[in-house]
Amino acid sequence: MSQEHKSWFTTLENEALICGRCGCCRSSCPVYRVIGWESASPRGKISMAKDIYAKGKNVGLSDEFVQRVSQCTLCGACSNICSTGIDTRALWLELRQRIAQSGKSPKAYEGIRNNLLTNKNISTFSNEDRLEWAQDLDEPEVVEPRTGAEVGYFVGCVSSFFPQAAQIPLAIVEIFNEAGVDFTTLGGEEWCCGFPLISSGYPDDAKEFIKHNVDRIKELGVSTLVTSCASCYHVWKHESQAELAGYKLEILHTTEYLARLVEEKRIDLDELDEVVTYHDPCDLGRNSGVYDAPRKIITSIPGVRFVELAHNRSESLCCGGGGNLQSVDPQLAASITQLRVEEIKESGATIVVSSCQQCEQMLSTALRSAGLPVQVMDISQLILEAMG
Amino acid sequence: MKAGVLDEIKGKYGDRATDAPYECSLYSRDLAPVPALLVDPLFNTMPDLVVRPANMEEVAEILRTAWTENIPVTPRAGASTVYFDTVPVKGGVVMDLNLLRGVVRLDEERMTVTVQAGTTWSELDDYLNRRGLTVKSYPSSAPGASIGGWFCMMGYGIGSLKYGSLLSQVRSAEVVLATGEVKVLTKETDPPLSWFAASEGTLGIVTSLELEVRKLTPMKHFLMRIANIPEMTRVLSELKDAPVTPYNLHFADPACMRAMHDLGLIPDDIQDGCILEIDYEGSDRELAQAEDVIRAMAADNITINMLPSEIAAMEWEERFKALRLKRGGPSVLGGEVWLPTDELADYLADINKMSLSYGINLISYGHVVTPKHATVMTMFYADETKTIKYIFNLSLVKKIQDIGYRHQGYPYGVGLWNTPYINRIYSRKQLNELRERKKALDPKSILNPGKVYRSPLLMNPFTFGIGMDVLAGILRAAGRGGR
Repeated sequence: MSQEHKSWFTTLENEALICGRCGCCRSSCPVYRVIGWESASPRGKISMAKDIYAKGKNVGLSDEFVQRVSQCTLCGACSNICSTGIDTRALWLELRQRIAQSGKSPKAYEGIRNNLLTNKNISTFSNEDRLEWAQDLDEPEVVEPRTGAEVGYFVGCVSSFFPQAAQIPLAIVEIFNEAGVDFTTLGGEEWCCGFPLISSGYPDDAKEFIKHNVDRIKELGVSTLVTSCASCYHVWKHESQAELAGYKLEILHTTEYLARLVEEKRIDLDELDEVVTYHDPCDLGRNSGVYDAPRKIITSIPGVRFVELAHNRSESLCCGGGGNLQSVDPQLAASITQLRVEEIKESGATIVVSSCQQCEQMLSTALRSAGLPVQVMDISQLILEAMG
Repeated sequence: MKAGVLDEIKGKYGDRATDAPYECSLYSRDLAPVPALLVDPLFNTMPDLVVRPANMEEVAEILRTAWTENIPVTPRAGASTVYFDTVPVKGGVVMDLNLLRGVVRLDEERMTVTVQAGTTWSELDDYLNRRGLTVKSYPSSAPGASIGGWFCMMGYGIGSLKYGSLLSQVRSAEVVLATGEVKVLTKETDPPLSWFAASEGTLGIVTSLELEVRKLTPMKHFLMRIANIPEMTRVLSELKDAPVTPYNLHFADPACMRAMHDLGLIPDDIQDGCILEIDYEGSDRELAQAEDVIRAMAADNITINMLPSEIAAMEWEERFKALRLKRGGPSVLGGEVWLPTDELADYLADINKMSLSYGINLISYGHVVTPKHATVMTMFYADETKTIKYIFNLSLVKKIQDIGYRHQGYPYGVGLWNTPYINRIYSRKQLNELRERKKALDPKSILNPGKVYRSPLLMNPFTFGIGMDVLAGILRAAGRGGR
C-alpha cells in the first residue's frame, strides 16, 4: 500500500545549491498558483535560501523571506515533482527551524508554541477535557483509557476539541463497537502529536510531546495504534520511531484499519446511491503513501459511483489548510481551497470524502460559501452512513 | 529609466506590478548560476519593474507604453533556460507571462488546441490526456517550460524525432509586436510564423498558439545497455532510420551511467557501458512491429543487453528528472550541442579525450530529435561557492562547444551567453537576415535587448575566445578542472 519515496535530503546548504531553478515546482505549488510572484514559488524561496545560507551573501533574514517561507502548506507537491530530487518538505521544515532559532518566527507560530506548551493541545481548552466528545455516546466510559486493549485510538486535537469534527470519533467508536474491536484511548493523557510544533520550526519541543504520547501508549500496552488525523499519522509513522525503538507497534490510519475491517467483513455495508469522490490529504497521501485504502473502502460500498478528482493520489491538490498556513495567512489558505473546490465541482460528486479533519473543515467551509450542494464527509462517517 | 512611466504602469496594474528589490532580484536569474563578479560589471540584470499581464490586451498595452518611451522589455514565463534568455541585461520591464494560462479552445475536428502561451507543457498535456488526446512533442522540461517559451526557443525535444519541430506543429500564433500591434501569424502571413520560432522573445511576445494534437496512444518502452560508444551510436543510427520511427530516442554515455550509479539512481548491474532508451507510441500493429525491430536487433548483436521492461518504463516515467544528476555537484557546468548524429561517436570520443586532458569527468547524454540531429548535453561537476575556480571552469564550457564545432555542431539556443558563438550558429547570410527582421519589427530594440543578434563588446568572439582559452590552458596545465 505504501509508495513512499526515499528522501535524499542532506543539508539545507547543499540542497539549496543542488536546486537547478528549473521551475518544475511552480505549477504544482498551490501557493505560487495563487500568489503568482516568483518569490512565492518553491524555486524562488530556495534561491533566496541559497543566497542566505549557502553562498554567504550578506543578505540576512528579511521579513519578505520569513513571510514567504511561512506561506507554504507543506503539501509536498514540489518535492514530488522536483527534477533534482530535493525533499523540499524537509527543506521547508529546516528553514522554519533556522528562522525560529534566529528569533524571527511569525508571531502566530510563537502563539501556537506557547499555547501548546501550556495546554498540550491546539485549543484553549484544558487537556483533561479530551474525551468531552464522548458524552454523546450511550456509554461514554467505553473510551476511557484501560490497559490490555489491542487497539489504541489516538483521537487528535481537532476531533477532540472542535464540535464540528466530533462526529468523527463518535463514528469511529460506533464502527469499532459494531466490528467488535477491542480498543481504548489515551483520554486526558493524549497530548498533541507535535505536528504544529514541527511545522512551526520547533522540532525539539515536539520531541517532548512525542515522548509523552509514546510512553502512554507503552503503558497501555496496545499493539496497534489507529488515528483518524493525517498529520498525527504522519508524526507517529515518521517522527516517533526513535522513541518507539524496541516496542512493537503497528501504526495505521483509520482508512487502513477500516479497510481491513471491511475486507474481513466485520462490518456490513448497505447500498448508498451517491456519486462520491475522494480528496487525498497531503500528509496521508503524498507524504505517507496511503492512497489505496480509502478508495477500497469507497468502492466496496454498493451503489456508490466513485469518481476521481482531476488531480488525485500523488498529484492531489492541497486543501490549503496544511503547514500552519491558516495561522499566518488565512486568506491565502482559503484561496488555495478554492482551487480544489473547482475540481470537486467539475467532478459532479455529491459527496467528497476525505480522511483529515483539517481538509474536511477547509473544504466544508469553502463548499458552503460557494453554495454547492456537496456534502463533505470523513471516511468513518461515510462508512457509518453505509452501515445504515 | 523614466520613473514616471514605470510608476504609471505600477499604479495601473496594482498588485500585479512591483519594483520591490526583493521580488525583482528573483527576476534577475535563470537556471545558470553565473557569478556576480562576471555579470554585474557588464549588465544591469535588475528589472526596474516586473509586471504580470493577464491577457493579450494588457501585453499590448504595456508594449505600447514601452515602445513610446523606449523602455526595454524582457518577456519571461518558465525561465527554464540557462542562457539568460529571460533575464534583462539593460534593466527595464520584465513581463512575467505566467498569468496567460489555460486552454482557449480544443478543436477535435481539426485536431488542434489553442492554448495561452504561459501554460506549461505538462498542464496542457494533462488537459488533453483527460480527453484522450496528447501533444505531439514537448521539451524534457515539460513541467516547468511554457508553450510560448519552447516555441521561442528551437522547440526540439521528446517526440520531435517522430513528429518534427514544434514550428511544424503550430498552425497559428497570436503575437504582440514591439509596437504593441497584435497579429495572428501563420505560414502565409507577413511576417510569417517561422520568424518567431527560435527568436527567443526578441521580435514579439507570443500570447497564444494553435497547436496540432494527436490521439493518446499506447506506448512501449525499451532500454538497451550497449557495451561501448561506437556500437551504441551504430545501433542508434539503425533505430532512427528503421521503418518504425521511435517517439523518443535517448542515450547516455558510460560517464553518465557511472554518475547515475554513484548517486544510487540505477542498479549495480547496469553501471557499465552506454544506455539507449527507445520509446514507441502508436497502434498495436506499430508497437508490435517496433518490438520486432528491437528484438531482432538485440538477437543479432552481442554487445546489446536488453534491460527489463519495468526498468524501461521507469526510465520513461523519470524522463523529466535528468537534473537529478546535479546531486553529484552541487553545481554543474556544461554545454548543449546541436550535433549531426553521424558525428556523435567521434564527438563523444573527443569529449573523452578532453576528460583525460583536463582531469574532469565529462558526462554526456542527449536525445535524437530529427533524423539527422541530436541535442547533446555534456556537463561536469563544479562548485559555485568556490568562485575563482568556478570562473576557470566556465572556460571548459567553451572547450565543449569547440569539440561540438569540430563535429559540425553548435550551441542549442543563444540567449546572452552563447552570443560569442553566433557565427557558428548562423552563417553570415542567415545572421544578416535575422538582423534585418529585428530591424524591421523592432527598430528601437526594446524587446529582449542584448540577446541573440550580436555579442556584447567584451564578449565578442575574439576577446571571448582568447580569454577562455587562456583560462582553459591554465586548467589543462594544472590537470584539474571540475570541483
